[in-house]
Amino acid sequence: MTISSFMRTVVAAIGIAAAGLASAVEAQAATLNDIISRGTVRIGVLTGAPPMGMVDEQGNPTGYDVDVANLIAGYLSLPVELVPLTPPARIPALQTGKVDFLVATLAPTGERAKTVMFTQPYSAFNMDIISGPDQKFAKLADLEGKRVAVNRGSSQETALRKAAVPGLEIVVYEDDSTSAQALIAGQVNAVALPSTVGEAIIKQRPDAGLQVGFTFFQQGNSMATRMEDFEIRQWLNTAIYLMKISGDLDKIATKWTGRPMPTLPTF
Amino acid sequence: MSYTFQFGVLAQYQDQILSGIWLTIKISVLSIMLGCTAGMVLASVRSIWGGAVRLLVDAYVEIIRNTPFLVQLFIVYFGLPGLGLRVGADTAALIGMTINLAAYSTEIIRAGIEAIHKSQIEAGEALGFTRFQIYRHVIIIPAIAKVYPALCSQFVLMMLASSICSAISTQELAASAAFVESQTYRSFEIYIAVTLIYLALALALRAALALIGMWLFGRRVARRTMTAVPEVQA
Repeated sequence: MTISSFMRTVVAAIGIAAAGLASAVEAQAATLNDIISRGTVRIGVLTGAPPMGMVDEQGNPTGYDVDVANLIAGYLSLPVELVPLTPPARIPALQTGKVDFLVATLAPTGERAKTVMFTQPYSAFNMDIISGPDQKFAKLADLEGKRVAVNRGSSQETALRKAAVPGLEIVVYEDDSTSAQALIAGQVNAVALPSTVGEAIIKQRPDAGLQVGFTFFQQGNSMATRMEDFEIRQWLNTAIYLMKISGDLDKIATKWTGRPMPTLPTF
Repeated sequence: MSYTFQFGVLAQYQDQILSGIWLTIKISVLSIMLGCTAGMVLASVRSIWGGAVRLLVDAYVEIIRNTPFLVQLFIVYFGLPGLGLRVGADTAALIGMTINLAAYSTEIIRAGIEAIHKSQIEAGEALGFTRFQIYRHVIIIPAIAKVYPALCSQFVLMMLASSICSAISTQELAASAAFVESQTYRSFEIYIAVTLIYLALALALRAALALIGMWLFGRRVARRTMTAVPEVQA
């Protein structure tokens, strides 16, 4: 193969890839009828963040999100296809139509709201700063000059960057469990984790001597749909309202976090 | 709604992307130099000394070549601190890449050494070469000339595989891209740009290696280097 024919192949490959991409992203607004006539609902759930989303001993998705997703599918009377997603894969999977909507512990933020549409919150937890056995942090200012692990694109990353503690180095990993692993291995001084995830890790690794420092904000989590899918979002909001009234959501919250869902303002 | 591409957001994050490119180049070039040197030494001692040394080297090569690079990185970054040896993310990436590339280089150079015919060495002896002269002129230089294109493909693969180091928080190009993506949610634009950057880096690396090959071994080897199709790394 000569150099010029190699270059031609490269250019052709890029052209084909771009054409495929363009056709994949030109989607119509999806409706509930589309989902019902397809016969299954595809829901994106979080994975790698116990107890919100993880896999059980058989390798099946399980956790808070999975229970809520199954409940939602029950309201739709459709079989559910759960798509486990890592935190950074959630919004791209939704945008490319791999899932109909997300029940993936996604916190509404101003930046995210420019690309996806959020429902009312269906779960909530405290965001905690957790440290190793040798030091404990009581407030944001204590983190000056420290290395703190967060998972990429998470609300804790956004909140910590906004807090702009001088000398604080934010170290980014792919998910909550890798961030916690970095703390256990001593690569960072602290990790910012949802209280639910933090408590689960402290329970699993009592030997690591991890300690909860302080809560730096409370986070509500919403389901998310594509920008154009108003109908699906409105239906999800109705279902969340019904799950709250019936007490089903409190039951799931108590099962996975040990306490009923905190009351959050709605929007 | 059809998707509207907005490449403009990339300009705001130019500094992160440039520093990512720089770190990718730095860890790739360093690990190529260290890994290739280690491979040359290991392939040589294995064929010169034989016995237990050969067994040890072969065990190392097989362990590295039959385990995922990501797992090797996790062991260096998360495992070694348990033994009291803590290195930062950039150093861990460099160590992981060097260990990985050394194993692949050893295997490739070993094949080159074994392709040198016995009669060549006998001819060297007949000409009155010393053992070192035979090793240098008859064995290692012709061996590397034979496998240079395969070696270069492996170097390019290693440069591309450096993107995996983002998983241990090394801020190289893939990590910069992921950072920009997490700030803007413009995944298509960013990953299209990053694909083109990696493509340009790979072609530049290949061209540089072809030049080095021309300088070391002459035009014929260099031409094979530029057009060799890399094997897929598992």
